[in-house]
Amino acid sequence: MKIIKNKIGADKIISVYWFVILFIVAAAIAYMVISFYGKPYDIRELEANALTNRIADCVSEGGYIRNEVLVQTFRENFLEQCNLNFEVEDTYGWKEQGQFYAEIEIFDFNSKGKISGMSGGNSNLKEFCEVKGEKIPFCLKRSFYVIDKKNAQYQVNILSIVRKTEKNEQ
Amino acid sequence: MKLRKPKNIGKRQKKMSFFSYNFSPKNRKGTILMENLIFIILNLVFLSILILFLFSKMGGAAVLEERYAKQIALLLDSAKPGMTISLDMEDAIQKAEKEEWPADKVVTIEENVVTVKLREKGGYSYSYFNDMKTSPNFNLTNKKEYYFVIEEK
Repeated sequence: MKIIKNKIGADKIISVYWFVILFIVAAAIAYMVISFYGKPYDIRELEANALTNRIADCVSEGGYIRNEVLVQTFRENFLEQCNLNFEVEDTYGWKEQGQFYAEIEIFDFNSKGKISGMSGGNSNLKEFCEVKGEKIPFCLKRSFYVIDKKNAQYQVNILSIVRKTEKNEQ
Repeated sequence: MKLRKPKNIGKRQKKMSFFSYNFSPKNRKGTILMENLIFIILNLVFLSILILFLFSKMGGAAVLEERYAKQIALLLDSAKPGMTISLDMEDAIQKAEKEEWPADKVVTIEENVVTVKLREKGGYSYSYFNDMKTSPNFNLTNKKEYYFVIEEK
């Protein structure tokens, strides 16, 4: 059995290891911080929720469906009618692409027959809703029940899609 | 004449290294204390560099610009006409002052794009979909807030 006679020497070796451990810990912390703060904040889910709420407020008022929703002119100018502007900043070629899509479908609650439908924005984004993976647009589907003044029942389906992947994912 | 035997002959020569160097030649017993002192100082230097790095990453102008641009865009998306929304931006305004960028030019809105700029070479823009007339105003009373007046277009 070997006995370590030089205790000071042993301490020196320990201190070297201590620095090695410190550097490993620092590198791990730096890596975590860079990977956390280097990534952009992903707010697309919140945006899609806000968009859906805005559309729902536009379609119904006080629990009743708005009369004008079923009129042709509303369907044609749905974005204007709901005070929506899908213009975006001119980065990453976003202006040409379109980063939003919104779709409303109104069904008869009992017969499930489609009564009306309208959409606005970049319809190409719709195909990504079935795809799973990274760097794809965020899709949000919601539906709610609403009646009119004559107590006719409707089901309203809203689909909101937000792309903006470059500024929300990395 | 008598020849003297050199002292080192027959003995193993001690290797000198950073850790074994005697910083105080007068007091050889003080070596251990000196080593410990250097060890502690190096540790402190190391930790302070790490903390500085963390704070620089957390409170960096680029991070603040992105955070506030997106926060404002979300606020405006949920806003309704007639509302006035106040937002505390103290940290961002302090950063802008450090970078010598005027506090009243930190937030700008053009059409439906919010831009937060805290330095000469920088800025982050994010669009919102709510089609309302929005004006950003710097609160000159407390000089740490921005308020947004939302009106019908």
